[in-house]
Amino acid sequence: MTKNPIVFSFRSFFHPFATFQSLAGTELSPRAVFFSYALWLLLLPPLFSWLGAYASGWHLGAKEPLVLTPKSLTIVSIGYFLLLMFGFVSTAIISRWMAGTYGASRSLGLHFALVAIVGTPLALASVAHLFPHVFFNVLVLIPTMIWSMYLLYRGLPIILQTPPERGMLMASSLVAWLLVAAVSLLGISMALWTAGVGPFLGV
Amino acid sequence: MSENMNLPKSHYHDEIVKTCLQFSVAWALLAMGVGVYIAAQLVWPQLNFDTPWLTFGRLRPVHTNGVVFGFGVSALMATGFYSVQRTSMVPLFAPRLAKFVVYGWQTILVLGALSLLAGWTSSKEYAELEWPFDIAILVVWVSFGVVFFGTIAKRRIKPIYVSNWFYGGFIIVIGMLHIFNNLAVPISIDKSYSLFAGAPDAILQWWYGHNAVGFLLTGGFLGMNYYFLPKMSGQPLWSYRLSIIAFWAFTYSYIWAGPHHLHYTSIPEWVQGTAMVMSVILLAPSWATMINSVMTVSGAWEKLRSDPALKFVVLALAFYGLATFEGSMMALRSVNVVSHFTDWTVGHVHSGALGWNAMVTYGAFYYMVPKLAGRPLYSVRLANVHFYLALSGTMLYIMSMWAAGVSQGLLWLSVDQVGELRYAFVDIMASMTSYYGLRFLAGFIFLSGTSLMAYNLYKTMGARKAIEARPPQVDPAYQV
Repeated sequence: MTKNPIVFSFRSFFHPFATFQSLAGTELSPRAVFFSYALWLLLLPPLFSWLGAYASGWHLGAKEPLVLTPKSLTIVSIGYFLLLMFGFVSTAIISRWMAGTYGASRSLGLHFALVAIVGTPLALASVAHLFPHVFFNVLVLIPTMIWSMYLLYRGLPIILQTPPERGMLMASSLVAWLLVAAVSLLGISMALWTAGVGPFLGV
Repeated sequence: MSENMNLPKSHYHDEIVKTCLQFSVAWALLAMGVGVYIAAQLVWPQLNFDTPWLTFGRLRPVHTNGVVFGFGVSALMATGFYSVQRTSMVPLFAPRLAKFVVYGWQTILVLGALSLLAGWTSSKEYAELEWPFDIAILVVWVSFGVVFFGTIAKRRIKPIYVSNWFYGGFIIVIGMLHIFNNLAVPISIDKSYSLFAGAPDAILQWWYGHNAVGFLLTGGFLGMNYYFLPKMSGQPLWSYRLSIIAFWAFTYSYIWAGPHHLHYTSIPEWVQGTAMVMSVILLAPSWATMINSVMTVSGAWEKLRSDPALKFVVLALAFYGLATFEGSMMALRSVNVVSHFTDWTVGHVHSGALGWNAMVTYGAFYYMVPKLAGRPLYSVRLANVHFYLALSGTMLYIMSMWAAGVSQGLLWLSVDQVGELRYAFVDIMASMTSYYGLRFLAGFIFLSGTSLMAYNLYKTMGARKAIEARPPQVDPAYQV
């Protein structure tokens, strides 16, 4: 795996299956994958959302945008980054935990790489946050998410060296976890808003 | 000769199973079609053509009743009758009564749908049908119980398999909820008033409403899962003991959860608190079943090569995991204060209804129909296309509703520095059109998949009679 995150991200974005193939069976250091690649990707969504919301506020559909103070925006963006980091690391660890059941490789570095490559399109598509109209973001991110799911289902058996059918079962288990993680993000956000962090709500 | 002596003389009553399954598919098409139509009305309101029976208010209960009681309950009757015979190793008890149950239920559904279109309604959600229907439902439901439990009573094998516990719990609890929630004073053939008033009426309604979700859409369909999953995967349950623990924990905790629909209303706060705590506890038995099922299927991966049915059940389990977690989280008061009344709730219901209920039922149907027809499925390819349509339809549905719901929650509650609401309700409502457009598309995609299944199953079964299957020999160690 190349040390340069930009080169690697382009390679995994344009040639994901070749990347999965080239990593299969290798020994990767999870720390190297995280610090030389994933971390930089994880920084993108909070950065784009901070810039977009600072410049024009959140356009949730109503006429007037919801404008947050720079301080609130920074807190929300840091929270976003921490949750993404937690989501990344926990998904890789859960994937490794599941690997035993599905006869897949248990090398933690490969699980870090799998989650990073599957997440690359989503991290890059977060450039849509620069234009923080929610519906526009939905239109960009839903097809990206479908592409990422496709990468997960097709790529998992390749990089983790398990038969495609077992890979399908493992990918479905991971999808269950990811759906739960996504909905947790919504729930945690709402609980934080209710507690006074973020937008000013009359509750 | 002695071996043959303990075999029952008659075969399983599968003809009635087949009929009920066909009714279920017909209701899926009809009721989901109505759902897509009313989704379109939310984008283009003129689609009601100023005709009272085509308005959203009348069609919406036709959609919900048609999907839950038409598609869902017919599927539970079909799979329940199919599995209770095989797990009890005897033909159905009182087969004529079973016929009465199936045709009686369909008559109630058709006339009930017409009454809803005519504007008859008790106004109780998921219990809109007026008192004459409530009495008819009770008669059919008790008959359903007699056939089901009668079959278990005359079983030839000692253990009562776990799927029957879930189906049995579903029949008993739904009967109990139906009776209490529909106690009313009739004033004419088409109108009655609830025996209860105010807050007690609301608590009773949501005791009913939530446990209809609990014991029908969860418990009943778990019965389906527990029978068909080991059958499809050719593996015994990963842990039978865990399935029994899950049943009792589920039954005990679900019944308390209803008042979480009434957070921040005039019902006592301790009732809301109890419902919230029990909703969180509920996650344990829900996930026990999910893990048990996932581990059962994990050893049967080779079957995925040839069996399209198994894919649906695997995916159903993922959505079951999501929907049960999401439900527990939305029951927390600090989340509910934002999420309540938003489209997130609608998305949550559909992640369960499309992702879990419909998918597990489709899996069961793809498994059962070739067995009933005695020949392979007409097209595995069409079933695979259906799988991807169902998956993408469900994902698009829930994601559009997540975005709509979160936006609504934020906009409705946003206040300025002096505490005044920042956004007008009508502006927020108008801004939802794009999400509703996506939801309409999602529903259409899902319905297209269901139509492919209906065609595939029709081509497999045609006008054939169900194969006459006979109960097998019972291992003497387990014989009654």
